[in-house]
This record gives sequence, C-alpha cells and structure tokens, in this order.
Amino acid sequence: MSEPETIHAPEAIRPEVETMLALVRERYGIRLAPEELEGVRTAIEGIVQAAHALRAVRLTNADEPGQPFAAYRADP
Amino acid sequence: MAEEVVFVPVRRLGDLIRERRLSPVALAETFLDRLERLGPRYNAVVTVTRARALEQARRAEAEIAAGRYRGPLHGIPYGAKDLLATSGGIPTTWGAAPFKARVFDFDATAIRKLEAAGAVLCAKLAMVELAGGMGYRQPNAAFTGPGVNPWSRDAWSGGSSSGSGSAVAAGLVPFAIGSETWGSILSPAGNCGVAGLRPTYGRVSRHGAMALCWTLDKLGPLALTADDCGLVLEAIAGRDPADPTTVDRPFRHEPAAPAGRQFRFGVLRGATDDCEEAVRENFERSLGVLREIGTVEEVALPDLPYDDITRTILFAEAASAFEDLIESGAIRGLTAPEDRYTAYARDAILAKDYLKALRLRGVMAREADRVLAPLHALVAPGRASEAALLASEVRSAIRGTARDVMGAVGNGAGLPAVAVPNGLGARGLPTSLQFMGRAWEEPTVLAAACAYQSRTDWHERHPADLS
Repeated sequence: MSEPETIHAPEAIRPEVETMLALVRERYGIRLAPEELEGVRTAIEGIVQAAHALRAVRLTNADEPGQPFAAYRADP
Repeated sequence: MAEEVVFVPVRRLGDLIRERRLSPVALAETFLDRLERLGPRYNAVVTVTRARALEQARRAEAEIAAGRYRGPLHGIPYGAKDLLATSGGIPTTWGAAPFKARVFDFDATAIRKLEAAGAVLCAKLAMVELAGGMGYRQPNAAFTGPGVNPWSRDAWSGGSSSGSGSAVAAGLVPFAIGSETWGSILSPAGNCGVAGLRPTYGRVSRHGAMALCWTLDKLGPLALTADDCGLVLEAIAGRDPADPTTVDRPFRHEPAAPAGRQFRFGVLRGATDDCEEAVRENFERSLGVLREIGTVEEVALPDLPYDDITRTILFAEAASAFEDLIESGAIRGLTAPEDRYTAYARDAILAKDYLKALRLRGVMAREADRVLAPLHALVAPGRASEAALLASEVRSAIRGTARDVMGAVGNGAGLPAVAVPNGLGARGLPTSLQFMGRAWEEPTVLAAACAYQSRTDWHERHPADLS
C-alpha cells in the first residue's frame, strides 16, 4: 500500500466525467430536464473524483475485499 | 396519568413498572397522547400504532400482575423508524411517497425481539426518504415534511432517523430505533440532544429493515441516556438466521462502570478542524471531563481516502438496492427534487472502483483496529456543527460537501459508536460527543459514555415549549 497521490483537479477528470455523463444521457436522458442533467453532472464529478482517489492508492495482490463471500449450502 | 413520566429514563421507568408503581397501560396512553398531539409539530411520526400499543401494554400489565416480568423493557413504549417492517396492517413507508400505502405481513426481527422483551410499539417514526440514499440536499426530503428540531422549530432534526431523534428529544417516546448507514443515528442524536448508539455491523439483525447498503446498514437505539441505549441493545442484539451477517457474540449491558475505572481515550489529529467554534469549545470542555476518568492522547490514522471509500460503497450498493425504483423512473415520486435524478449518476461507478473501495475497506478496518487496540475509545465531536436550518442546504460527507473521517471509518469498518449531548452551540442547539470503539466493544464505549454522563447534566436538559 502506498500513500495516495494528490487529488486530481476537476480539469483532469473532465473527459471521464463527460464520458460518464454521455452514458447517463443515453440511458436516462429522455426523462431528465436540462437542469437535472446538470445536477447529474455535478454528482458524476464527485463520483469520478472519488474513483481517482481510490485508484491512487496501491494495493498488493493479497489485499482482498473487506467482505468475505461464503459458500452456501441449505441444511442439512 | 400526569406527565411526570416524560423524560424519565427507561431504566427508571422499568423499575417503576417492575415494582408495580406504574401501569404500562397508563404509560402507553401518556405517550400515545403526546405522539398524537405533539408529533405533527415536529413531523416526527408517520403512524401512531395505538391499537397495537394498547394491546401490548395490556398484555404487559397482565403478565407483570401475574409475576411474569420479562425485564427492563417490559411495558416500555417506543417508536421505530419507518423502515422496519411491521405486520397487522401498519404501513411501512421508508419515508417515501411511492411507498405510503405499502404494508408487510411480518415484523422485522428487531420489532419481534422488542415485543419478546415486552416493549410497547407506539409509533412508526418519520425518516428521510429511503434513509437519505438518493442524494438529498435539504431537510425537506420526506413525504411527512422536514424533520423539525424540538430545540428550535426553524432547525432540522435529522437525518435520516429524524423522527427517532426528535421523538425522544420531545418526550414522545422513551426510546426509539433508528438506522445508520453513514451518520443516520449519530446525527439526529446529536442534533436533538439525545443519546444514540450505532452498534457494530452484524450485532443487530437487519432482517425486515429497508436495505440501503447491505454492507453498511446498522440498526440501533436512540434514548435519553447511553445507559438506556445499552438496555435496548441488549434486547435487539443477537444472531438471526434471517440475517447471515449477524454473529453469535453475547452482549450484556452493565448499568455503570466500576467506580474508579480509568479509560484511555484517543483523539484523531485534526478531529475538530472542520468544526464550528462552539462545537470545538464544547469538545475541549468534554476532554476536560474525560481527563477526570482517564487519559486523552492524540492519535493518527494513515492518509487514506476514507470518505471516498465509504462513499463509493454506499453509492454503488444503494444504486443496486433501489435499481427497480431508479430504472423505472419511480424516483420521480420522491419529495426532494434532487432525489428524483441524482441516483442516475451512479451508473458512473465502475465495478472495478467499487471493488477497489471494498479492498481499501479491508485496509481501513485493519488500520482503525490498530489505532483503537490500545485505547478504550476514540472520541470526537458527534457533529461538526449545530443542526442545519430548515431552509438551508444540508452539508453532508456522503455527498462530499463536508468531511467526516470518524463517520467514514466507523461506518466503513462497521465499528460501534455512541453519541451523547455535551453542550449547546451558538444558536442554543445541542452539540454532541461521540465515543467510537473496536468492533464488538459496545460495552466499553457505553461504559465510557455512561461515565461521562455521570459527570455532566446535558442529558437532563430538555427543549422548552413541549406542552
């Protein structure tokens, strides 16, 4: 695990934001008013910034999700 | 019955009932009346469950008269956040207009356990719609209206367990059940000047509770004191085959720490950086009290994107949990305008990023445990500010408009915390102090909070104008 890098500036994430916004517009654009789409854009900016912060932390192959899956078998 | 039973802690009410000096039926009538009369003032109540309450209260009275006393919650009225399923035709609305008429045919495990303990369900309490999971930015985000703070009617009580906080603070119920995914017990407890306990993830069954985020949701009590929270937790804790995340770890609440017990407290570096001045001052005063019962030292967590980790998990799981509602467009029926579209943005969360957040959660949990291991509790302000004004935008770590490392780590790692009132802020609204412990250390954080409350009287102060 390494220390996180500097958080990306909004300019640096803009292409990713626009790509994701295009996806949302494609899926749901018909039901979104322009001002709502702007609200979605703001929310996507937060999501992409968070993703960049997560990606900036290096983990090892042994770092598993902190949530175990358990094999299931109904009784008996 | 005269209203001298209002603002009496559960433990004392229980003693009076056990000694047959207090009638469970009369007690239920008192709180049902207050719920019906004062509940609307605070937008605190969705449904007053009068018929069920009186039936349970009569049963409690008969059992106690026959010598079958079940314990400290026997005959005690309570309210449940309206995301817990209840049978008998009582609606379970999740605070959301699209579900106003929805009825389940079973009781959530927590409701069932409280019934087994003899508690009396008097109300389903208001909440932020869908427990705030759709991105709300304002107090007016429930079909019942904004949660109104009993300390000041221009201030917010929530969220998202807004009715659970205000109902206890206004003396509408002696205790309530709330839920927390990130902040939804500690925040209303802090805003309303009552105690709130967020249990360890897996301590309390979530069966029958609305799922917002499967790996973050916890159920816990709000009450007048930390001691009362312990009593309630004892009744609702335990393994439940219907919730595979629950574990078989016994929990027993002791009424008070042994005299002279010394605690070792830690304060995260920068814990008050984003706090209002009055919150900071009250916290410093609280540390002075804590030094009477132990030591206080500064500690640090490694620099990790804690808020981003927990936020990413929350957004991704909430988007999946409410996939039907979002995809169908039924979120159009929600109250807060921003709740009607913000969730569409969560299609931007990549599976790889969600998994990265889950992997980082493992790191976060280990680091938090390493810091907490030599301590009895981390302490911090329960909230960075007094309750927001009803007309203002709510600052939220979940949306990234505020920072909350304690909340991100505590919820992301599933750690227990209890918040208790520790003063008043510049606007005369309560501020709070939180104690967070290692996993399964509810007895320790409760002992510390009880020791703090034994030396302060903030929990004995109540809002004016409650008649």
